[in-house]
Amino acid sequence: MTEKAILFDATKCMGCRGCQVACKEWNDLKGVKTANRGTIENPPDLSADTWLKMKFIETGDAQDMRWLFGRRSCMHCTESACVNVCPTKALYHHELGFVAYDQAKCSGCGYCVDACPFDIPRTSGSLVGIKHATKCILCHDRITSGNIPACVKSCPSGALKFGDRSEMLAEGKARINDIQSKYPYATLYGENELGGLHVMYVLQDSPSVYHLPENPKVPVSITVWKDIVHPIGWTLAGLAVLGLGFNYVIARRKIQVKKEGH
Amino acid sequence: MVASTKSKSSSIAALQILVGPRPASGIKTLPRYTQQVRWLHWVTAVTWVVLFITGLLLFVPQFSGGAGHGISSLFHHIAAIIVVAWAVGYFLRNPKTSIEGIKFALKWGTADFKWAMAAPAYYFFGKENKMPPQEHMNTGQKLWWLVVLGCGAVMIITGAFMWFFKNLVPSGVVMWCSTFHSIGMAVLFAFAFVHVYLSVFHPKMRGIFWAMVDGTVPADYAESHHKKWYDELTKHKESGKEK
Repeated sequence: MTEKAILFDATKCMGCRGCQVACKEWNDLKGVKTANRGTIENPPDLSADTWLKMKFIETGDAQDMRWLFGRRSCMHCTESACVNVCPTKALYHHELGFVAYDQAKCSGCGYCVDACPFDIPRTSGSLVGIKHATKCILCHDRITSGNIPACVKSCPSGALKFGDRSEMLAEGKARINDIQSKYPYATLYGENELGGLHVMYVLQDSPSVYHLPENPKVPVSITVWKDIVHPIGWTLAGLAVLGLGFNYVIARRKIQVKKEGH
Repeated sequence: MVASTKSKSSSIAALQILVGPRPASGIKTLPRYTQQVRWLHWVTAVTWVVLFITGLLLFVPQFSGGAGHGISSLFHHIAAIIVVAWAVGYFLRNPKTSIEGIKFALKWGTADFKWAMAAPAYYFFGKENKMPPQEHMNTGQKLWWLVVLGCGAVMIITGAFMWFFKNLVPSGVVMWCSTFHSIGMAVLFAFAFVHVYLSVFHPKMRGIFWAMVDGTVPADYAESHHKKWYDELTKHKESGKEK
């Protein structure tokens, strides 16, 4: 199936946060009570009940003051650290390209929280009790039935678009072309990062200004864990069982015979 | 009363089929494991099985249904608390014995090398002539004990970071902790097979399982497997402990 993607055009965003509200509403996430921190950016962080939040970035100096709007939610990577690390396969790639999530399989280990280069997944639940991870699922239920994600649906300014990834990519590139004269550092983020993201950004400045990693990577420890520790662990266990079986077959015969000989 | 005694003896009979015959009462035995050590052993064994199975769910995606909703993680945490608390309790009640035990695990010499060279012929063919006389623990047991201590420390430290200090350290540290937690598990996994196999199935040792139940070993077993320890013990106490 053709891969789908969201294109977020930061130059068209007006910071209304309608997407944030729509996300909560569609996914039935409860509101979080927060205190005024002197910024319109609210809640302060993603949580088990906040899968999408808008970022408000003040940058520049008194002469050239800019107020940028960024988006923080799952980037739906192709080379996803979370899918790679998830021990129970609760996180997996959907054929439409996004990173889907089956809560019934989640053990609440929280490895995905630590693994994600964008710091997106969160766990809910107490220290001891039942926990599970949560994150944006690209409105799985909506897009598999031909609708568009709730955040995109709610966007009044056309900053959010949803469609085939190739189309979104082309549109993003065209947009960068248009704005480059005005914003020399304008960047299309997500074309090749981590094998290609399924949420791409048209940014008016370089990614670091938006607190995005310039070169996101799957942590090395995951590769070590998955590709080295796992196979070695199984080999070690297999060798132990084989060796013991071998020993049993030989020792039983040899040692019994010796006893009878006495 | 009679019925319960009968069912108890029949369950012991059934257990003997699995783990080997219990030494006959009346034979000469030596005290080997105190009651506290036996309790520590069995608490560790049971919690280890729980920790192992609940942890293994994270290695086998096909079993992931069992890890769903974090139930397995709850059992994992409970078992971890029990075993750590029990070990700490043992340490506090027996600080001297514990420290001696830890020191013993770290003491390695040429006798251990000789043992390792002679071990294959012994464990496969029962050839005893080259086996050097052994102390309370032989080299193999000492290695297992070292693995338990070493991996135990790794599991407790990395586990504590993954559970309690998750939010205090950078996420990279937590990731490496889970990697080392898995390495510790793999090593314990392999060694535990060897441990259970030797104490239950190996023809030379079959029946020794009961030492961890009764706390004693037959004197002739002690003499052939742990000569140094046997000599030390019988020097002080000529007759040994009659059961």
